[in-house]
Amino acid sequence: MSVRNALLGLLEQRPRHGYELHAAFEAMVGGRQNWDVKPAQVYSTLARLEKKGLVVVDALEQEGGPEKRIYAITPEGREALRAWLSTPVNTEHQRDEFFLKLMLSLACDEADPRGVIYTQRASLYRELHAVTARRGKADPRSELAHILLLDQAIMHLEADLRWLEMIEARLAEVARQPLPEPHARPRGRPPKES
Amino acid sequence: MSIVETEMLTKIYGKGETAVTALDRINLRIEPGEFVAVMGPSGCGKSTLLHLIGGLDQPTSGRVALEGRDLAGLDDTALTELRRRKIGFVFQFFNLIPVLRADENAALPLILDGVKPAEAKTRAEAWLGRVGLEDRLKHRPDELSGGERQRVAIARALASEPALILADEPTGNLDSLAADEIAILLRQVCDEWGRTVLMVTHDPRIAAYADRIAFLKDGTIVDETYLSGDGRDGEKLVREKLEAQI
Repeated sequence: MSVRNALLGLLEQRPRHGYELHAAFEAMVGGRQNWDVKPAQVYSTLARLEKKGLVVVDALEQEGGPEKRIYAITPEGREALRAWLSTPVNTEHQRDEFFLKLMLSLACDEADPRGVIYTQRASLYRELHAVTARRGKADPRSELAHILLLDQAIMHLEADLRWLEMIEARLAEVARQPLPEPHARPRGRPPKES
Repeated sequence: MSIVETEMLTKIYGKGETAVTALDRINLRIEPGEFVAVMGPSGCGKSTLLHLIGGLDQPTSGRVALEGRDLAGLDDTALTELRRRKIGFVFQFFNLIPVLRADENAALPLILDGVKPAEAKTRAEAWLGRVGLEDRLKHRPDELSGGERQRVAIARALASEPALILADEPTGNLDSLAADEIAILLRQVCDEWGRTVLMVTHDPRIAAYADRIAFLKDGTIVDETYLSGDGRDGEKLVREKLEAQI
């Protein structure tokens, strides 16, 4: 959904062809490593937007090479963009592999829950160190947008580290309590009331 | 030669049933130029460790050596001299003299050490300049922001040209922006001015500036992480250390 709306936003800025849009999207999200969108997805999204009347093919560019279609936003497209910009984003609930690992290390006799925590902590600190170093090299006078993205990464890592601290402090207690298990549901027909 | 080496360092407060083991046989080695962070929950012994390394307190057993010199063999005078010449302290609440200006605060340890006022002033002002306070020399602490006060404290610590800086929660009393600035400054203390920094902190973002983090829990080092490089060299070093202890 966001990719579709991002393309509308980029076209609102000015008409472009598909290749340009792909490059512009990648630059805006801070690179492929942050958000990887294949050119094919851009083209298929543009096709869908065209079908819905949110974009039109404005012109056809031909400079010796293959034909390049230049897309432009329509008034309906602008309306859709406006609606998207004024709607809050839902926070994505992420699947946490580490949490699963921790629970299973508590469940399995062979594993070492504290070791699992320490391994994760070490990795997070190394990443935080690296991102902090990158942030230090960025120029706030010209790369502030990139810095904001790095700040987000830093804050997420900090939050994860604080959570790990919390887990470690309460690990003994968690280990004592029964692990999350499914509730046994009664099977078969309910007994007849006499 | 390591700057700091502790061997089976132990500190027990109290006696008998009410005895509390603050540090339990700590073996820590810090090399010249390293930036080491010590982290752990309240009561884990991290401040005690800093105090013992700084010669501010005596261990119950074990030893602390600074540049190869065992602190146990030193009397009060020798210890004081060591603290003034070899170690610079940075505290959470800055510990500046309220009635003195920034340049006077920074020069104070030098004056106390017998350095001539003119030379003390020159050295203090040079360091205040290096930490970015050349326009604040005549300001008193209450005329400075929290971050600026801590920078005066750092200049003061560096004025006696110590090899080692001991920082106890240096960003604990600062907002996150000022905290980052101080962490960057401490990085500079190592990278640019070639000192060694041992910092106690409970702020993960600040600890991440260090080269290495030692995790303390109930008086023992339970884990260590090397932060620079790809970490694999560091992991190998930690494993070797742990194996050596067995």
